[in-house]
Amino acid sequence: MRRSLAVLVALCAPASPLFASEGGGGGLLTPNGGLMFWTLVIFALFFGLLWKFALPALIGAVEAREQALRDALDAAARDREAAAARLAEVEAQLAGARTEAQQLIANGRAAADKLRAELVEQAKVEQAAMLDRAKKEIENEKARAIDDLRREAVDLALMGAGKVIEKNLDDAANRRLVESFLASVGGAARSK
Amino acid sequence: MIRRLALFAGLVALPFAPLAAQDAAAPATPAEPAITTAAAPAPAAAPAEGAASGDFITHHITDGYMLEVPSFRPPFVTEICLGRHVGEHGCESPWPDFAIDLGLFTLRGNLWPTKHTIMLALAATIVALMLMLAGRAARRQTAARGHATGFAGAIEAVVLYIRNEVILPNVGHHGEAFVPFLLAVFFFILGANLLGMIPFAATATGNIAVTATLAIITFLVIEVSGIVANGTGYLNTVVYWNTELPLYLRILLAIIVSPIEVIGKFTKPFALAIRLFANMTAGHIVILALVGLIFSFKSWLVAGAPVLMAVAINFLELMVAFLQAFVFTMLASVFIGQVREAHH
Repeated sequence: MRRSLAVLVALCAPASPLFASEGGGGGLLTPNGGLMFWTLVIFALFFGLLWKFALPALIGAVEAREQALRDALDAAARDREAAAARLAEVEAQLAGARTEAQQLIANGRAAADKLRAELVEQAKVEQAAMLDRAKKEIENEKARAIDDLRREAVDLALMGAGKVIEKNLDDAANRRLVESFLASVGGAARSK
Repeated sequence: MIRRLALFAGLVALPFAPLAAQDAAAPATPAEPAITTAAAPAPAAAPAEGAASGDFITHHITDGYMLEVPSFRPPFVTEICLGRHVGEHGCESPWPDFAIDLGLFTLRGNLWPTKHTIMLALAATIVALMLMLAGRAARRQTAARGHATGFAGAIEAVVLYIRNEVILPNVGHHGEAFVPFLLAVFFFILGANLLGMIPFAATATGNIAVTATLAIITFLVIEVSGIVANGTGYLNTVVYWNTELPLYLRILLAIIVSPIEVIGKFTKPFALAIRLFANMTAGHIVILALVGLIFSFKSWLVAGAPVLMAVAINFLELMVAFLQAFVFTMLASVFIGQVREAHH
């Protein structure tokens, strides 16, 4: 573009007073100071108008949108962080709960084991005690039965012997004789 | 399609017809005798009576006190003299020229508004009004719907693009402060560029005075922002003082490199001014040269190709109008960013 300009200027130069001053406008490459002044004034006014009326609305809207966008992004980042924190919190809680539950189960199992052991032990002790008692009762019953039997036997023997000896012996002396005999028999039986 | 092209060709040729007509009649023009070309290829070119190829280009791209407005009667243009009539077709400033001695050169000029002054003011007014209306609409629509729609949405999209893709990445941290100025520069240049595309109008940004003023403003903004951002460190951008070197080398390099740094400071705005001026002028010269071919050959048989080429160049110019506004803004952003990051 610029080369074409140079060529054309070169072509036109001989044929036209291109660089000569024409009126107040000046030549092509001679700046007109008046136009420079007016350019300055016009640009200043233009800039002032834009600065005051047009750009605040145009850039303001853009900046407001950018701000909104930035805010939204910030809010999203904040929310994400908060969500991540909450997630971590909940996970920690969950892990805690799981540990707690396992602890509870373990505790329950231990308690149950202990209880069972205790119960078994108690049952054994009670069984032994019952056995003992039963044995003792049996012993007692046996001794009483023996005593009863002996008394019955003494009575029967006495009755029989009384019947036999009634006729010839006085009652008291005979009874003592039989008794001492039975005692010797019973003593022998008991020591056995 | 063909009808539409013909119509467009007519529109393209429209602004040049009056120029050609005017120059042919100008007494100072070494024009060939006027030849009536009743059968012109495009309806607007019909009233063109003869032409001198070189002169109407100069007339069109330089400034002056004559304003052309459309007219319904042949030659379909009415000339409005902004100043004082001189002779039959002349027009000059009623005020005397001034000259300010700036040491290196003398700045000459005339404060009476010229064609380009009017065009620049017109462009600035139109763009400012559009932006203000768009801003109001954008605010209202944002309040109602959360986003701007339609024209306001388009303007907002442009603002957003320039701000986020051009200004902020190049200016660097805390670049928001420069957004209004750089956006104003962008829309100002764009408005003037686009107004120059409209028939009968003129391209104010194709005037070195306009681009130089914009470049000077940009230069001041660049250097002031450098001073504000760096404080005394700003001196580093003027005097090359590399503390990593031994003292004698430092002094030597300071003497050698500092002038280059200073020249570099002035080269940037100079390049900005010349780039914009040259690009806007070049396209118009190309179009005018192409259309001028028709008048040089004085035959509507050769009109087809130049008109089509002029149409193509016009589309290119439309792109360049946006591109140069964009480039000026982007380079200004880059320069501001550079000087603000200058603390080595």
